[in-house]
Amino acid sequence: MDELELLKKDWQKNNKEFPKLSYNEIYKMILEKSSSIVKWIFIISILEFVLWTGMSFMFKDADFNQRFKDYNADNIMIPIMIISYGILIYFFIRFFLNYRRISVTDSAKVLMENILKTRRTVRQYVAFNLISMVITAFVVLSIQLNRDKQVVSIIEKASANGELFKFYAVTILVTLAALAVMIGVFLAFYYLIYGILLKRLNSNYRELKKLEV
Amino acid sequence: MDKELEHNFVALLEKHQNIVHKVCRLYTDGYDAHNDLFQEITIQLWKAYPKFRGDAKFSTWMYRVGLNTAITLYRKTKRKIHTQDFSEVEFKIKAEDYDDTEEQQLSILYKAVHQLNDIEKALVFLYLEDKNYREISQTMGISEVNARVKMNRVKTKLKTILNP
Repeated sequence: MDELELLKKDWQKNNKEFPKLSYNEIYKMILEKSSSIVKWIFIISILEFVLWTGMSFMFKDADFNQRFKDYNADNIMIPIMIISYGILIYFFIRFFLNYRRISVTDSAKVLMENILKTRRTVRQYVAFNLISMVITAFVVLSIQLNRDKQVVSIIEKASANGELFKFYAVTILVTLAALAVMIGVFLAFYYLIYGILLKRLNSNYRELKKLEV
Repeated sequence: MDKELEHNFVALLEKHQNIVHKVCRLYTDGYDAHNDLFQEITIQLWKAYPKFRGDAKFSTWMYRVGLNTAITLYRKTKRKIHTQDFSEVEFKIKAEDYDDTEEQQLSILYKAVHQLNDIEKALVFLYLEDKNYREISQTMGISEVNARVKMNRVKTKLKTILNP
């Protein structure tokens, strides 16, 4: 006899073995809070939006802005700000629409796809932020090197002392270190999300995809 | 939410609770994990219930929500009480003298099913529940042909686990 048929026969007559929960026990359960990964993904995604938007605010702190006015760089910075807010709103709306589409009554594959889609949107937003931060950092640096009176006088002094190379090396190293910290935060988030929360989902999704090859 | 909806839902779930117990049995080992998953499935069912339309059978609808919760949404976090180390159990069975009685074979079969991955378990579960391939393919979101092919592979896999 086919092993599964044997199991099926037993499985179907096994009904009495299970605990029998009462009406009240079930009623109590529906008052509890869910601890599903969707909830965690939502919380972490919102945190990411806040964190990365916050980081770009840090770039625009008061002192910094004040000095920027002297550079006459408004014609560059204002459009960049408007674009970055537009992009934030775009990603957030996309994330929210994707999130709303997650439904436990879809097929297993569609459910997994929709969850992964919300993650993809957040990942794109974060990647966009990282790239734009790297670009901004270098644009700001080059503006400072050319227009900041303080910086220009330091450069002049350094070149008079023959320390121009040292000055550039230090500036670039500091910039790179700051970027490394940001990328570190980014990687920590991704270790957390993909390593812990989505590990099972990803492997199950791969398994389902494998069936279609 | 209104009381009548609550009452209808709890009464329906009380009646059909075995479906949820079966999913829990397949995806967990131990009493606490079973209860934990049962609770999460109940919450998910309740959250989805306002959108439940009578055109689908309540039990069919439960299969979907139950499996989706077990495979995708559930996180084993709340309580971690270890009842029995699973690998140890497996080891003991292989070491035991192979007795061909039906009882013994069934117990080995259940353990073999426990060793399958999440997706394979879902297929076996629906199969054991006497669902046809159309329903299986719709629940999992794969084509009917692929559901059949995979099911045959699972059968072979079970055979190899049973007769190494």
